[in-house]
This record gives sequence, C-alpha cells and structure tokens, in this order.
Amino acid sequence: MTQKKITRRDFIKLTAVGATVLAGSQVIRRAQALETAESGGRQWVMVIDQSKCTGCGYCTLACRAHNDVPPDISWNVVTKTGTVGAQDVFIARPCMQCAHAPCVEVCPVRASTYRPDGIVKMDYDRCIGCRYCEIACPYGARSFNWKYFDGPNPSVPEWGQPEIERRPRGVVEKCSFCFQRIDRGLSLGLTPGIDEDATPACSVVCPVGARLFGDLNDPDSNVSKLLKGRTSYRLREDLGTSPRVYYLSATEEPQS
Amino acid sequence: MKIKLPKFSLWMAWVGGLAVLLVAGVAAGVMVLWKGLSLTHLTDMIPWGLWITIDLSSIAMSAGAFSLCAVVYLLNLKRYQPVARTATFIGLIGYTMAVLTLLLDIGRPDRFWHSLIFWNKHSLLWEVTMCVTLYLGVLALEALPIFASFGWLRSHWPKLADRMSRIHHFAPYLAIAGLALSMLHQSSLGALYGVLKARPLWYRPDISVLFIVSAIAGGMSLTVLASMLSVRLTKHANVDNNILDRVAQIIGWVLVVYLYFRFWDALSMTYTYEPGRTEGLAQLTAGNLSFNFWIGEMLLGAVVPIILLLNKRTRSLPLWRMLALALVVGGVVAYRWDTNISGLLITLSYLPGEPAVAYSGAYFPSIIEILTGAGIISYGLLSFSLGVRYLKVVDHNSTKVHIADSKVIGAVPVTGD
Repeated sequence: MTQKKITRRDFIKLTAVGATVLAGSQVIRRAQALETAESGGRQWVMVIDQSKCTGCGYCTLACRAHNDVPPDISWNVVTKTGTVGAQDVFIARPCMQCAHAPCVEVCPVRASTYRPDGIVKMDYDRCIGCRYCEIACPYGARSFNWKYFDGPNPSVPEWGQPEIERRPRGVVEKCSFCFQRIDRGLSLGLTPGIDEDATPACSVVCPVGARLFGDLNDPDSNVSKLLKGRTSYRLREDLGTSPRVYYLSATEEPQS
Repeated sequence: MKIKLPKFSLWMAWVGGLAVLLVAGVAAGVMVLWKGLSLTHLTDMIPWGLWITIDLSSIAMSAGAFSLCAVVYLLNLKRYQPVARTATFIGLIGYTMAVLTLLLDIGRPDRFWHSLIFWNKHSLLWEVTMCVTLYLGVLALEALPIFASFGWLRSHWPKLADRMSRIHHFAPYLAIAGLALSMLHQSSLGALYGVLKARPLWYRPDISVLFIVSAIAGGMSLTVLASMLSVRLTKHANVDNNILDRVAQIIGWVLVVYLYFRFWDALSMTYTYEPGRTEGLAQLTAGNLSFNFWIGEMLLGAVVPIILLLNKRTRSLPLWRMLALALVVGGVVAYRWDTNISGLLITLSYLPGEPAVAYSGAYFPSIIEILTGAGIISYGLLSFSLGVRYLKVVDHNSTKVHIADSKVIGAVPVTGD
C-alpha cells in the first residue's frame, strides 16, 4: 500500500521535472527569437539573368575554388534548358536560400539555420550526416560528403583561393551565398553586390554579368531596381518555399 | 570422440552460425566506420536504402511491446501478461537493432548525441530520435524483471535481482509512458516521409496512420511467431496456446483495419493527377515495384494472413498460424522497403519547361550494407535465442505463478484482519 503512494508522488515529481524542461526550452527559444530581430535590415537576394547567361560554367568553377568544394560536388549547377530563337538557354542553380526552407525544418540537430539576413547557414560541426535535408530539398541543392576530399583542389589557384574550411567526410554541404565574403566585406565597410570583395564569387566571376547580388530591402540596390523593372520568376514557387534566387527569363533580344 | 559427439547439438549449430554472421557484420561495420559511407551503394539521389529499411522494420517489429503492455496494464487484461513479457524482450532487442543501424547510417556516428542536445522541435526526425531514446529507457526498465530471473544473477546477487524484479510494480506507469512514446514515434516514422512537400508520393497524411497500424500487426505477429517457434525448437519454452490463438485473431482484425486504411489511401491517390505522385503510385502498381506491392504487401502480406488468422480452423492449426504470422512480418518489411524506395526513385525537376518527373536510377545494396544488415539481424536472433534459454522469455507458466503469488500477497492483509 505504501509503495503505491510513493509511485504516485514520483509520478508527480517526474511530471514537474518534465514541465520545467519544457518551460526552459521555451525561454531559450524566446531568447533566440530576440537575437534574430537584429537583422540589420538586409535581405540578400540573387538575380540570375537567363537572357545573358551563356552557360560557360565559370560560376561553378569559381565557387569550387573559393569554397573549396570537391570536384564531384557542385554547389552551383548549370543546366541547358532549351532554346529561345537561335540562342541556347541555361539555368544556374545555387542554393535558393528559401525563406521557408524545408531543410531547416527537417534537420534533427538545427545544423541548418536562418541567418538574420535570410541566408540558410550550415553548421558543419553540428551536422550528423543523416541526409534528411537532402531528401527534403526540392532543388537538389545539397550534397553529401560520401568520402573525404583530400589532395589538391583542381580549381585552385586558377579560379581563386579557398576562403572557408574544407568539410569533413560524412556531412551534407551546400551553397552559402559566400557569406564569408559578405561578412568580411561589411566589416570593411564594403557593399555586397557592388564591391567585388563583398560579393559571392559566382557573381564576381560571371563574364557577362548575368548574376546580380544585393539587398532586397534597399530600394536603390541594383537587384531591387532590376526586379521592379522586369518580370521575374522563382523555381517551384508552388511549393511556398519563397526562394531568394530570382530569374529573369531569356528573351529573343538581350535586355539591359 | 565419444565425448565430443553428443556435445554437438542443433542449438550449438544455430548459435555458431549466428555468431559467424555477427562477426562478419561487426567486421563490415568497422569497415563502414573506418572508410565511410562510400562503401555503400547510396547516392545523393537515393541517400536512404537498406539500413533505413532495417531501422524502420525493427522498430515496427518492436511494436508488440507497447501494444501488448497497454492491453495488459491499461485494459487490465492480465491473462496476456506472459505474451507482453516476450514482446517487451523483443522490443528491447528491436530498438537496440534500430539504434545500431542508425549509428552506421549517419555520416558522423561520433555526433549521434547532437539531436539530444541541439533540439529542433520542428523536425520529425528529432522527435523520433528523442522518443526512441526515451522509449529505449522505458523498455530497459520494463525488461529489468526479465533479467532478474536469470539464474546466475539470482544465486550470486539475490538482493539486486529482487530489486530489479520489483520494477514490476511500476509496470502500469511504464505502460502509459510506452504507449505515449510509441503513439508518437511509430506514426511519425511515417510522417517523417509524409511531411516532405518536395516528394508528392510521400506528401500525404495517411502514411503516419498506416505506419502505426502496420507496426502493431507486425510487432504482435513477430511476438507470437517467436513464441510458437521457441516452443517447437527448445524445451526451455512453454506457451498457453489459447492466449496465442486469441492474439493471432486480434492481429487478423488489426490487418483488416490496416488494409481498409491502405485501400482508401491508395484509391485517393489515383483520382487527381499530381506530378510525381501518380508516377510513384504507377511504379508500385505496375512498375518495377509491382511484385513487392501486389504479392509481397497486399496478397501475402495482408489478404492471405487475414484469411488464415480470422478463419478459426486455419488459425488453430499451428503450422498455418505460423505461416500467416511470418507472412505478416514479411509484408510489413516489404511495406517499409517500398515506402522508402518508391519516394526516392521519383524526383520532381525544379527546371522550368522540363518534364516534371525525373527518375533517380536504381538502387541495390552493396555487399557491405548486406553484411552489416545480416550482422544486426543475427544479433537480434542470437539475443532472443539466449533470452529463451537463459531468461525464459517465452514461459507462460512462470508468469502465471507470479500472478498467483501477487494475489496471495495481496490477500495477506485481509487474512490479517
């Protein structure tokens, strides 16, 4: 009989402990929400002009060099999608940096998170390599490191110098909008999208200026003006992911 | 020679064979940890394969533990207690199998604990990991009285064994915890697929319901099948055939519920053309997975066992009943395999103006994947065999005595009055 009383008391104790843990996690969550409020007001977007893109693939190579990406992985994939008039049409696909990113939702360890400026950031020290994000991404923007990338990077030094650490075996990796360049550039007082040292490597290397980068919250930025002036589209908008990469369709006559 | 020959028994051959497979599996597992997942046939297009199927299946096969414990301690149907005891032991084995497989499957096994520290409450995989970890704890507690019956422990550490068996008094509370945790993660293992909008074949709510219902059928089937096989193969086990007959009948009805949900789920998918979903379903019903689907999942996995288990004559014949239960187990495994692979084989193109549906190629597990899988399964079989022999996990007599004992104890104060 006495034993029953103890079990009941223990049960209540356990419930109390559980409630405390839950409440604690809510407090932490609130603190994190406050953190994201200081966004600096910037929202980085990329505009890819298909009427200019020639499919040269320099963007992919510069990306491989600056981010030390192994040759069997592409953070940025260029595909030929058809023709308009006599011209071939290409589409370059970096990470879409979705505002509602399925990868961020599904990651069991919060290794993928939203930065205040909208970039979806990977924490390679936290990723456990479960590959759920890879399955959830509608754009195929994520790649798994099936083996360790050792030896020299064939894109270095021709296309640039690595700016970030090489990823270990067993984690998923993806395009980061070169936030290492953005952060460093901002700290030096540069403007991403205008100053080359503060702009993603793919955008800088593009020989025809088909990849523009800038702050959508700044009405005077080149991307804001371009998106206001021309019709744009985003990939798989029907999914509601709100990508931060906009495309300008290829036309018969190249537009400025 | 004269002495050695009688020592060789079927038991030793069985244990020896499993041990060989286990050693091969451990060697292959060490290779995976050392060389990485490039030893598998998994790709960026098909990143989940055989191991995920083993993982999902062993958790499904453990569902007998929570469902039968709930029947015994929450519905208070005490006569099923010996079966629940077997199911709890199988559950403990199944969940450890799942954890072992997951450890191999993740790219960074050294960081397995990250999901316990860095919570993402939006992630179903996080929820599954937490539930599996907590439920493994519940199962370990529920299994303590089973380990307390180990003869060696009883003779050498009688006080410890006594304390371990006293956990039994908490059984109803553990059953509540087990039921809650299992209701969450057994279904969210299906929802894990069901929430992915990028994969229209998976993206539907029914998949979570189908996972838990099929898990209950599969888990109880494995429990009854393992009990019946134990009785036929060793003298260390004994069963009450009436109880097993009753559970087998319940399984039949659970299968009817499963098939009912499954029918409406599949039928609803045929009515609207949703790119990716229609093609995925076609792959199951008419494509390269159609044998698995129609024969493995539907005919042998559901329809035949329903007939065999709900028909009193076939159910009461041990051989037919065992066949039906084995078919249920096979059907649930086939369902897990098909669910995973059918969604991965079909992807939706993100390119505008391209055909919406793309095919990801084919997947067949590598020899390393198969060896580690076989090793993990033989670990399960070996643990259960040792349990039958040394812990009497299939013993419908001893627990009866136990129940009778507790009744006597309960009666003592009354006589004291």
